[in-house]
Amino acid sequence: MAISPEYLGPLRVGIRSSPEWTEAWDRINDYLDALKAPDSVDRDLILLSSFERAIARKRREPFTPATELAFEETQKALDHALRHLVDRSVPEDRRLVEQRVRLYLTENVDGSLLGRTEELSEEVLQALREVKLQAAPNLQVASITPRPLELSSPGKGVVNLARWLSPIGANSIIGWVIGLAILGLLVFASLYR
Amino acid sequence: MSGNDRSRKFVELIGSATFEEAFQRKVRQRRWGVALVTLGISLLGLWLMFDIVGARGWTPLEVAETGLFGLLFATLSFGFTQAFLGFLVLAEGHEPLKITNTLDEETPLASTGIVMPVYNEDAETVFGNIRALYESLRERGELDSYDFYILSDSTDPAKAVEEELAWSDVCRQTSGFGKIHYRRRKLPVNRKSGNVADFCRRWGHRHRYMVVLDADSVMTGKAVSSLVRLMERNPRAGIIQTMPRLAKAETLFGRIQQFASRLYSPIFAAGLNFWQQGAGNYWGHNAIIRVSPFLSSCGLPGLPGKEPLGGRVLSHDFVEAALMRNAGWEVWFAHDLEGSYEGMPPNLTEYVKRDRRWCQGNLQHMWLLLAQNIRPISRIHLVQGILAYGSAPLLTLFLLLGALQAGLDRLYEKLGMFPAASAAVLFLMTLALLFGPKVLSLLHLFSRPKELAAFGGPVRVLLSAILETLFSIFTAPVLVWFHTRFVLRNIAGKTVTWHTQTRDGGAGPSWYDVVREYWPLTMAGVGLSAAAWWIAPSYLAWISPILLGLVLAIPIAKLSGGVGLFRKLFLTPEELRPPKELCVRYHLQLRDGDQFVHALLDPFYNAVHAALQRPRESSTLAVNSYATSLGARLFKEGAEALTPQQKRALLADGQTLAWLHNLIWKTPAVRLHPSWASALAQYRSSKRGARPQSVSVPISVVGASET
Repeated sequence: MAISPEYLGPLRVGIRSSPEWTEAWDRINDYLDALKAPDSVDRDLILLSSFERAIARKRREPFTPATELAFEETQKALDHALRHLVDRSVPEDRRLVEQRVRLYLTENVDGSLLGRTEELSEEVLQALREVKLQAAPNLQVASITPRPLELSSPGKGVVNLARWLSPIGANSIIGWVIGLAILGLLVFASLYR
Repeated sequence: MSGNDRSRKFVELIGSATFEEAFQRKVRQRRWGVALVTLGISLLGLWLMFDIVGARGWTPLEVAETGLFGLLFATLSFGFTQAFLGFLVLAEGHEPLKITNTLDEETPLASTGIVMPVYNEDAETVFGNIRALYESLRERGELDSYDFYILSDSTDPAKAVEEELAWSDVCRQTSGFGKIHYRRRKLPVNRKSGNVADFCRRWGHRHRYMVVLDADSVMTGKAVSSLVRLMERNPRAGIIQTMPRLAKAETLFGRIQQFASRLYSPIFAAGLNFWQQGAGNYWGHNAIIRVSPFLSSCGLPGLPGKEPLGGRVLSHDFVEAALMRNAGWEVWFAHDLEGSYEGMPPNLTEYVKRDRRWCQGNLQHMWLLLAQNIRPISRIHLVQGILAYGSAPLLTLFLLLGALQAGLDRLYEKLGMFPAASAAVLFLMTLALLFGPKVLSLLHLFSRPKELAAFGGPVRVLLSAILETLFSIFTAPVLVWFHTRFVLRNIAGKTVTWHTQTRDGGAGPSWYDVVREYWPLTMAGVGLSAAAWWIAPSYLAWISPILLGLVLAIPIAKLSGGVGLFRKLFLTPEELRPPKELCVRYHLQLRDGDQFVHALLDPFYNAVHAALQRPRESSTLAVNSYATSLGARLFKEGAEALTPQQKRALLADGQTLAWLHNLIWKTPAVRLHPSWASALAQYRSSKRGARPQSVSVPISVVGASET
């Protein structure tokens, strides 16, 4: 579907005349840029239809910010454009996420899918509908059970000794005093060869 | 009989009735041989020490000093014996008893999981290395037998987002959905060993083998498939460890280590295999594991007491090898299998920091020595691991006792002569034990002109070896200093904290950070030099290599992180002619700034992350309301309002993230927190081109992920 530039031009001029709508226009364009939507008729169509509906809503909801209205209407327009890509059973709150996932996955395939979904074959559409971004495979559960450490008899003795000594070792002052005392004893005993 | 004939005969012998007996006899002979040679050298050294010290009568200090000398000299002798035997094995050109003799390229492959546990690592490195192996296996037409698992324990929210994006990007580029898997644990229980155990619990029955890689591991497809085939050919093998070569180093320190490892490790590795055979060790990565016995036998025990020496096992690899051996499985060392590589810390500081963790882990193994049913060779591996760090305080004590005795002799003017002949022989023996393996490695290399040329030629190899030796002499006292500190702190029940962190691995720490960490070493070096001079100038000369290393610790540590120094030296074959797996560079183009913020704002980042989270229905009401409250707070108070823990909790709720994404985008700037407004402004300045226009992927393969 072609859009007349004569139609879009006045809309842009109108939007630029209001700071509120200017912000909304820039925000939506930034969003479409982030979505890698190319500068094309389809993008213009999304913008046009979204802002048309947003302006109409603004008359009914004068206290709702223009940015909010425009963004919501853009989401609806995107949803309309990409609805073929997602299975109907996907809940509504999840659908927008899944649509963006499909745009991301096909981002490098011959440009953006935005506005081109009708050109896609049914086979490709079906493949896209079946896509499920799953990072890990289904579980095939097994068990790995730690075995307790079985200490030998001398080992048990050492563990008990370590438990007994641990308060001494944990106190750095006592540790240094004992270490230096042993060293001092050795030095003292070695004074006379 | 030629080497090849003997090799064939060895393979034919496998499975025959007499083989096991003959094999065991041969292995026993070898082990006795190693033990006797080690004992012989140690006793000779001890006898010379007795002669030197005993000539003037004994003092208690000297008795203690000699005892420590005996222990340290025995350790040195064992290393030398191993290297010498390895040199002989390689010089002879044929080792009949090695696992790679059984390799048959016709052996069918079996289902194998390539497992890479990661923890806050660089996503480009992790996924670049996985991609290199993936492409390598695809080129060999062997991809069907493998699945790839990136097992993340990352706690940094931004890193977690990066990993997800890198995963989806690599899958997109390679059509790897359903083959390359990514799993992030919410809680990193039991660290790396817990991470691998979690993999085993989730997908343990999916694969017969798992190849464990580190984040910096690179393996060729050929090497991995060879490991699988070796496992298939050796049904009693539980683990086969490869000898990873250091690669991809850019800094002076990294390249020196890379050169040293490449030059010296072959003879050590051949010597190690010579005596350990099927009772080998596992180093935690670049190895293949038979999953079934790993599940049934390698659950890690809890240790008596609390951390640092008790509690959970930190260095799991040695323990797992010991447990595998206990269960009757063999652990082999495929030391000559090509195509196994790993990275290493870029500078001395990072190396020491890594040692801090390894030291604690290895010291914990003391408890295993007290356990029942650990096989003798496994005990030797554990002792070797403990002494890798435990020998540092012993050496420090040895030097301290010697210095104290010399000080006393100086005080009482009893500095006397000692038997010069014995002293000279002991000195030369010590030099031979320390530097002999390096000379033997050079001899081995010089006897192979092709290999020598691959190192850059004889002149460069010799110069590099001399400089490497000097560098190792200077860095050894620094390592002894830190290892001593680590061991003593751990024994006292404390861990060592580190003040600085190298943000940029390539550039290394700043002068300020280096001085802050290393000034005590310099001060100690200067002080001890003055004391040694007071004892006798000749004594100072005697211990100057140690003191010089301490005095120069600051410039050495700084220099170690330098890039571009001595580029024509320390060359290795992999640096001059790298295999293509080492050349793969993966570049993940991300938006500038905090990736957690972009997970909320970028429509693609947000969608990928949200789509990967479990649906809300599986969470409790309390969890849902907690996530919603976090989201509301984040929106109201800005991107920095949450702690990392809260950010992780929020990241786990895809629905809230998607809601926040819409909320921020649709709110006018005046109503947004300034941090969100400025983050959104980035999206205007970075209009398009922030994401790679990478290779095209046919739509038909996109949905290959399992459902």
